[in-house]
Amino acid sequence: MGYLWLKAFHVAAVIGWIGGMLISSVFIAMHVASSRPLAAGESRMIEMVRAWDWKVTTPAMLLAWALGMTMAVEAGWFSSRWLMIKLVLVFGLSALHGVQSGVLRRMARSANRSPPAHLRYAAPAILVAIAAIAILAVVKPF
Amino acid sequence: MPPTETTARTDERDQLRRMRLVSLLEGATLVALLFVAAPLKHIAGHPAATSIIGPIHGMAFLLYVWMLIQTVSGADWSRAEIARAVIVAFIPFGAFANERFLRRKELALAGSVSPERKWDTSG
Repeated sequence: MGYLWLKAFHVAAVIGWIGGMLISSVFIAMHVASSRPLAAGESRMIEMVRAWDWKVTTPAMLLAWALGMTMAVEAGWFSSRWLMIKLVLVFGLSALHGVQSGVLRRMARSANRSPPAHLRYAAPAILVAIAAIAILAVVKPF
Repeated sequence: MPPTETTARTDERDQLRRMRLVSLLEGATLVALLFVAAPLKHIAGHPAATSIIGPIHGMAFLLYVWMLIQTVSGADWSRAEIARAVIVAFIPFGAFANERFLRRKELALAGSVSPERKWDTSG
């Protein structure tokens, strides 16, 4: 597959992945430090957010990994410093997504348990990371 | 409607089952890399095998680490259990020991006395 096709699908997958993470971030932040039990409508919403995470966000992340790795191997970028820094940010985003996904599962199971407080900063952290990734991938400053 | 305890346990067991499958995938690709691809490269002079299996194992390893983060973030694993699950990913055939460990956790959830009962009451 041509480089431009790989790049197009990689960017589309990243948009799907990050969009899904932002949905989870906002939903989790709404419930941080809230000790009251979830209402019936909120339980339904958790299931919807979890379903989106499972059916869209996670496959998009896996596709972004696979296509990104293929591009890096084909272009011989693994020795570039910009890619190393980008990979650190990608691992951080992946780990945060794993935490969010686990927290959503816990919320669905234990409706009276609020998510960890630090997750209220997930959305701004994701935006900063993705901006840095875009700069590193497009400008390739190092 | 809030989930019943049975639904919640089934959900957690499904998660452990997925974790077990990913662990076996990671373990199988590690064994293939070390005992098939690497000898083919260094003894038989066929480097193509490592260039194919290497990235596949890389993806499987990333997926395993991600699944582990996802699994422990939604449950109450001890630090020793987490450390054990990380260490076995680096040991050839460690996945098979991990498979038994994850199956035991799954069976504990299926049993009448759940060791994870505290999840629902510590909030």
